[in-house]
Amino acid sequence: MSPVRTVETSGHALPEGAYPALAEALATLAARHPEWLLPVLPGGVPVPPTVPPIDLAAAPGTVNEPVMALGAGSTVLAGDVTVRAADVVVPGRPGVVSVVATVRGRTVHAVLGLRPPGAETFPLPDADEAPVGILDLDDGLAVVSDALTDAQLCQALLGALLGEDGDIDRVRRAWMSDESTAIAYDDRVALAVYGRLPPEPAPHPGLEMYLALDEAGFNHVAAPIARWRRGQWDLGVVHEYEPGAAGGWALALTSLRDLYASGGPPERAGADFGPEARRLGRMTARLHLGLDAAFGRRSGDVAAWVDAVERSVAPVAPELLGDPEVADLLTTLRSVAVPCPAIRTHGDFHLGRVERTDLGWFVFDFSPGGTPVFGAGTVPPGLRAGADAAGPVYRSPLADVADMLWSFRHVADTAAAERDPTGRLGLASLARLWEVRNRRAFLSGYLATPGIRGLVPPARGLARNLAAAFELERTAAKRALHA
Amino acid sequence: MTSTGEPSLLQSPGVPAPAASPTPVGVPLPPAEDDPGWFQRAVFYEVFVRGFFDSDDDGIGDLRGLTAKLDYLQWLGVDCLWLLPFYPSPMRDGGYDIADYREVHPDYGSVDDLRQLLGEAHRRGIRVIADLVINHTSDAHPWFVESRQSRDNPKADWYVWNDDDQRWPEARVVFVDTEKSNWAFDPQREQYYWHRFYAHQPDLNYDNPEVVEAMLEVVRYWLDLGLDGFRLDAVPFLYQRDGTSGENLPETHAFIRRLRSVIDADYPGRILLAEANGWPADVADYFGDGDECHLCFHFPLMPRLFMAVRREQRYPITEILAQTPDAPEGAQWAIFLRNHDELTLEMVTEEERDYLFAEYAKDPRMKRHMGIGRRLAPLLDRDRRLTELLYSLLLSLPGSPVLYYGDEVQMGDNLYLGDRDSVRTPMQWTPDRNGGFSRADFASLYLPPLMDPVYGFAAVNVEAQQRNPSSFLHWLRRMLHLRRQFPVFGTGAFEVVPCSNPSVLAYVRTGAEPDGTSMLCVHNLSRFGQPADLYLGPWTARQPVELLGRVPFPLVGSDPYPVTLAPYGFWWFELTEPAPLLADTPPAVAAVLADGAPPAVTPAPADGGSA
Repeated sequence: MSPVRTVETSGHALPEGAYPALAEALATLAARHPEWLLPVLPGGVPVPPTVPPIDLAAAPGTVNEPVMALGAGSTVLAGDVTVRAADVVVPGRPGVVSVVATVRGRTVHAVLGLRPPGAETFPLPDADEAPVGILDLDDGLAVVSDALTDAQLCQALLGALLGEDGDIDRVRRAWMSDESTAIAYDDRVALAVYGRLPPEPAPHPGLEMYLALDEAGFNHVAAPIARWRRGQWDLGVVHEYEPGAAGGWALALTSLRDLYASGGPPERAGADFGPEARRLGRMTARLHLGLDAAFGRRSGDVAAWVDAVERSVAPVAPELLGDPEVADLLTTLRSVAVPCPAIRTHGDFHLGRVERTDLGWFVFDFSPGGTPVFGAGTVPPGLRAGADAAGPVYRSPLADVADMLWSFRHVADTAAAERDPTGRLGLASLARLWEVRNRRAFLSGYLATPGIRGLVPPARGLARNLAAAFELERTAAKRALHA
Repeated sequence: MTSTGEPSLLQSPGVPAPAASPTPVGVPLPPAEDDPGWFQRAVFYEVFVRGFFDSDDDGIGDLRGLTAKLDYLQWLGVDCLWLLPFYPSPMRDGGYDIADYREVHPDYGSVDDLRQLLGEAHRRGIRVIADLVINHTSDAHPWFVESRQSRDNPKADWYVWNDDDQRWPEARVVFVDTEKSNWAFDPQREQYYWHRFYAHQPDLNYDNPEVVEAMLEVVRYWLDLGLDGFRLDAVPFLYQRDGTSGENLPETHAFIRRLRSVIDADYPGRILLAEANGWPADVADYFGDGDECHLCFHFPLMPRLFMAVRREQRYPITEILAQTPDAPEGAQWAIFLRNHDELTLEMVTEEERDYLFAEYAKDPRMKRHMGIGRRLAPLLDRDRRLTELLYSLLLSLPGSPVLYYGDEVQMGDNLYLGDRDSVRTPMQWTPDRNGGFSRADFASLYLPPLMDPVYGFAAVNVEAQQRNPSSFLHWLRRMLHLRRQFPVFGTGAFEVVPCSNPSVLAYVRTGAEPDGTSMLCVHNLSRFGQPADLYLGPWTARQPVELLGRVPFPLVGSDPYPVTLAPYGFWWFELTEPAPLLADTPPAVAAVLADGAPPAVTPAPADGGSA
């Protein structure tokens, strides 16, 4: 395994005289990037208090689809844009420039291409490659465009990041999300470019987690190749690309499709998901062992976790807390005196974050970066690392387990509702059976993994209750999204 | 195709003429030494001589009967027959208990009958290989009869004897449901003899050079007669060593290399096919460095094909293929859906075995040893689409396909017969008495033919399916003849095409330069229709042409290529280089534009529609 290369691109800045023209270009580009104006998502970065948090990830399968931008619709003007840095990544023409700017209070990152007027372009399919401006620089006029819409510019960018001109035949856009745009090269290597950055230079928490896990020997991730930075800001990452992977959500659907068509106990259905759920449980345990190895563990306070759950649930689903069983559960947990191990967790771990490959299950998305995706703003200081109130969150790994268990229910319910909206076919009860079957399988795989017992509460009852509490939080989060 | 003298696909099949009449012969078969790679392109057909056709009305199929059916096999389009053991035998294990290595079992005829079969088969472009059991003999073999007499007779060391039954405890018992130990006591010699299979099958002692020489002589004898090769039965077990499992030992490989050197020196073009049930990485050792077996069965793939279609996802298949080493140059994997044994589940995990038992052996009677004793059609509940899907995989995945007699007409099984006889009932030729297999009294048949309303010979037989152009038999025949036109299916490289739909398995077979043919095969493992976006990057700008109808599909662009599949549907595409400027042009116009040259991708239809 070759070490991950770190590429710093702040060495060769464009003169500040170019900033007004760049601001014009970014204002034009903003119309094509409504996600720039979205609130900053959790992940170590506080959400502005005036904007309610959005749980993009609570709907697996749609995590990568842009949602409607809040505040979009009004035209962004050059005056709304403040260029904070503009660095030459690929010199000359065609060249590539990386620009960090503030757009209406949000910090964004754009990768721009520079070409002489009239030069040939190589637009990617379905990409809006129309020029966004013109720059008058010392080395001549340059037409400015979005570099991530052009095959030649994308190839030059990868060459600069890898320090070598690879032999690339095909370039295409692999995905676009609110966080990043990814370009696939020959379907072997992908470059993900972050479009939204924290206001002040800081590492990307999801990327840090991903790299640390790789370093710790957790091999259920696409192998990272290069990290693109500007000072403390992470601008992107190059990693191996597995185009043949199937998302966890899609794989669960193959099973549900079969079950709902034939009925009967799910373990007897041809497309039983149990073995996959068990493997997923094993992979999850390895993920937690990797996080433990990479970030260490500390002693967790069950009462503090229960507080956090309650604080998250109270504003959105107060009736849940009123349920006697729930109240009982929380009371029981609060009385627990044994400290439980706490580690960095994924933070938003569900079927939409994992994918199946020929090598088994992979985690392909670390975007919450270890901060619980729901209730990030309400995490009590007791969960934070050390005295630093903004440090990473340490929780029981059962929080991730609860997320995944919840997502089994979610996918089964969603698929049942699609087929049986009136409930006359009784698929809801099949959904329950499927959920139970795969919860069991997942947990048996998880708990049977060597080493994991040291990370979960030793008493079975306590572990079950704790997972239930975390699941409560997730349920409330989903409810909040649909409120 | 007609120019080669091969029967046309349009030809009305009828009932094949008996072999005794002067036969219009098909493709002349080049001598094996002139075409040493023949087995890489061949489709094998496994024949149980006993159950194929009875020429002398004694209720037992025989070699003359098989010869009489060669026209049918030629019509079907198979390239090589694999005969189950035809040697004299007490028949306590379907003939795998050989009692004489140089004779033909009288039930099956004579050595002369075999000679005639080989001649007639070769005239029809069909080669013939035969089972050879080298690990053990029957306890009725004269060698063993002599060996057990005393501890000092000339054959005393031809078998593996020991004073107690404690040696080599690491060696597993293969037939766990019938045998308790690998040792059996012989009261005559008052010693234990070693047997990896049934107790009536003592293992030969290959540490004795006389045994090695004797076996090489046996091999020479049959190759001199014209046999095109052997399937080596139970090959991993030849030697025993302390502290080992007694499987896949270096000594075993050394013996096979010796055997191979005999073939290379004196019988070039003849082949060795290894039966070694193991993980691909281990079994691949039997290829050696291209100096051991020509072909090795790929056992773990088969149960995973059945798993994948029930699970509706490709991972069982792609995972095992990812673990499968490439066969060395000049060697090839042999793949199959079903054979004369149970559907063996040794090469799956316990969890997977439970799963496959639950899915495919719902009745406990269906279980045999560590597997399922059923034929293909009942395994698949006679689902025609699913059957076609599995054959499409079999015929397009890397490896030489091996068909099992009767499966071409979707024959059933008889679970009430013992051991593996359930899948060895008489071939069903016609709706007549005994299914056309034999004119003997029903009571004298070696096994009763199937007579149930679904799979019985009245419903399922060759004659009826030959008359029905939409029968499964005709479909399979079309596929076999199609496959034969494209050697790339036999020898091409294999590459899985990425696709984010887990229910779709797509791959490309690519021929070596200068041929360079690329075949894209796309399979829907789900019983529901599926879309697939295929990442066909390396084949950008190629034009997929659907093989059965030569229908050109849209060009491959830079985006993932969208394909729609019917339930259990599949496509075979040739990825052709479109003629410049002509790719999207109707054939007639293209032909004009190309200045009279026929367009590369759209040959004029046979009906002359665009002429």
